[in-house]
Amino acid sequence: MSEPLLHARKVSIRFGGLKALSEFDLEIHKGDLKGLIGPNGAGKTTAFNVLTGVYLPSEGEIFVGGQKVNGRRPHQINRLGLARTFQNIRLFKQLTVLDNVRIAVLADRTPLFDRPRVEALRRGNGPSRALGSVMDALDNYRDWWRALLRTPAYLREEEGIEQRARELLEVMGLSHRVDELAKNLPYGEQRRLEISRALGTRPRVLLLDEPAAGMNTREKADLMVLIRELRSRFELGILVIEHDMKLVMGICEHLTVLDHGETISRGEPAAVRADPKVIEAYLGEAPAHG
Amino acid sequence: MKSFAPVAIAIVVLASLQVLTSGSQYFVYLSLLVGVNVVLAVSLNVINGMTGQFSIGHAGFMAVGAFSSALMSQTLNEYRLGFLPEAVEHQLFFVISLVVGGVLAGGFGFLVGLPSLRLRGDYLAIVTLGFGEIILVVVRNTPTLGGALGLSGTPQHTSFFMVWFTVFIVVLFARRLLASPHGRNLVAIREDEVAAEAMGVDTTSYKVRSFVVSSFFAGVAGGLFSHFQSIITPGDSFSFVKSMEIVVMIVAGGLGSTTGAVVAAVVLTLLPEAMRALFITIGGDNASLAQSIDQLRKPIFGVLLVVMMLTRPQGLFGTHEIWDLLKRKKGAAS
Ligand SMILES: Nc1ncnc2c1ncn2[C@@H]1O[C@H](COP(=O)(O)OP(=O)(O)OP(=O)(O)O)[C@@H](O)[C@H]1O
Ligand SMILES: [Mg+2]
Repeated sequence: MSEPLLHARKVSIRFGGLKALSEFDLEIHKGDLKGLIGPNGAGKTTAFNVLTGVYLPSEGEIFVGGQKVNGRRPHQINRLGLARTFQNIRLFKQLTVLDNVRIAVLADRTPLFDRPRVEALRRGNGPSRALGSVMDALDNYRDWWRALLRTPAYLREEEGIEQRARELLEVMGLSHRVDELAKNLPYGEQRRLEISRALGTRPRVLLLDEPAAGMNTREKADLMVLIRELRSRFELGILVIEHDMKLVMGICEHLTVLDHGETISRGEPAAVRADPKVIEAYLGEAPAHG
Repeated sequence: MKSFAPVAIAIVVLASLQVLTSGSQYFVYLSLLVGVNVVLAVSLNVINGMTGQFSIGHAGFMAVGAFSSALMSQTLNEYRLGFLPEAVEHQLFFVISLVVGGVLAGGFGFLVGLPSLRLRGDYLAIVTLGFGEIILVVVRNTPTLGGALGLSGTPQHTSFFMVWFTVFIVVLFARRLLASPHGRNLVAIREDEVAAEAMGVDTTSYKVRSFVVSSFFAGVAGGLFSHFQSIITPGDSFSFVKSMEIVVMIVAGGLGSTTGAVVAAVVLTLLPEAMRALFITIGGDNASLAQSIDQLRKPIFGVLLVVMMLTRPQGLFGTHEIWDLLKRKKGAAS
């Protein structure tokens, strides 16, 4: 079996006394569509935050695209092919829909220096780190000149960025909204814009945190179909957090159930649904919203 | 190349204006003051408006540029190249001094920008404030820079053309920066830093770089300033009060709006001057009233800021540019 695109091994995180996630295991391969479920406060969003580098895991290891990412910053992890959406929508509210996606669409520009080499140098110490930083800075400051002088290469790049952003918006059914400010979109469309934006970073694995929250039943069903399409169209591995059990049952091929940070069950949806531990965890709380 | 057309036009227009206005010393002096403030406001707007950080030490970077370029210029002035006409040579030396001042200020911007990796909001503001004050203390205690008495004897090379060409460059830069991927990333940081990181934006590096570019232009503004003042002292022109003046300008113009910063800088620089002129007209030669305007300036700025925050907290233009608003008006009418 090929190496997983995203791999978490016995990942734990503590907030003071609270163990928000313990010994969390996960593998996402290309073409996977997996679900992460659990009652309120189970640690689902925390798991996303640890995987994407917002929090440093207290224990365990995380690999993205075969590279260990413990301690790397979120933007570096994103560059390795991991993108996410947020449960409490975090769009660039004052910007247009198009700009939201354009920010995520990173230019396919030719860097001055070989990127992996620069990154490797920067991870070293002493002189090699300094050299790496200088190379990185030179490369970055070049952007100013290109922007100020509007070189032909720069203009071509801008065109490419815009075109790709428009394509993604079309896939997510937001073409009619490109020039509107993100904050003026209805809730359901804001959620879809978040997905378009995440796709802009050319991920190989996509993490969706309650993408259907706040949508009506019909919208939810449509979105689930769309998510399945995204997987094949962009050759992604997808992990969805969803509160509504019925919904994930419909599309996911594998579920992980969290409760109080512990993985209480995992496997095929039908088996998970029948698991007494899961039933207990879900009965223990008020009926799930949705 | 198309991208150079605006530059050529600007050069022609500014050169003719320079010739046309050369008769009125008062006008030229005012235009220099206004231009320097516009450069300061537009450059600070890159940090405070576009990137959403909060710097209140911009005058400190201006001071770095002012003193270092003045010193540079005085040193260069001892030399003659010979093969160039003297006027051309002066301008060449002047440009070199400006760049030196700008680069040095940019270097300090880098050092001050580094804490912004860790600090946010109020804490970062305090660091920038501290930097501004430290610079003045250093100048006061450095005899080469004139000490507390100030540095005089800087060649008076600044011209209408140089100041307004710098204004043109900084505005062009700000506009093109904002329209570039780089600028969009800065705005993304302002809008939501966590989301920007998650979308692959190296927020720390962008923040430091916005400090560097902004300080560079503040340093150049300082250089322009020191070359039309007979003496520069480590006092009011570079103090916290000056920094706040610039902050007021960009807040009044609308954080994030370049044209807003330009308009506010022009109006707020001319306002005290206009009042001075008014008082002189009213009070005749008994000019004590006119002098008191300098003391009145601070309270007037303060009151203006408070009124602004109460009535229009997003500033004159919000994050928009002047033409966005004109367009919208037209659109609404039709
Ligand atoms: N930064 C933090 N500091 C301290 N505690 C935290 C932090 N982030 C999350 N927690 C705690 O960790 C637990 C798990 O929270 P998390 O947001 O991951 O739950 P969730 O499964 O996403 O729940 P929901 O379905 O409500 O979104 C909660 O008890 C929460 O209070
Ligand atoms: Mg959550």
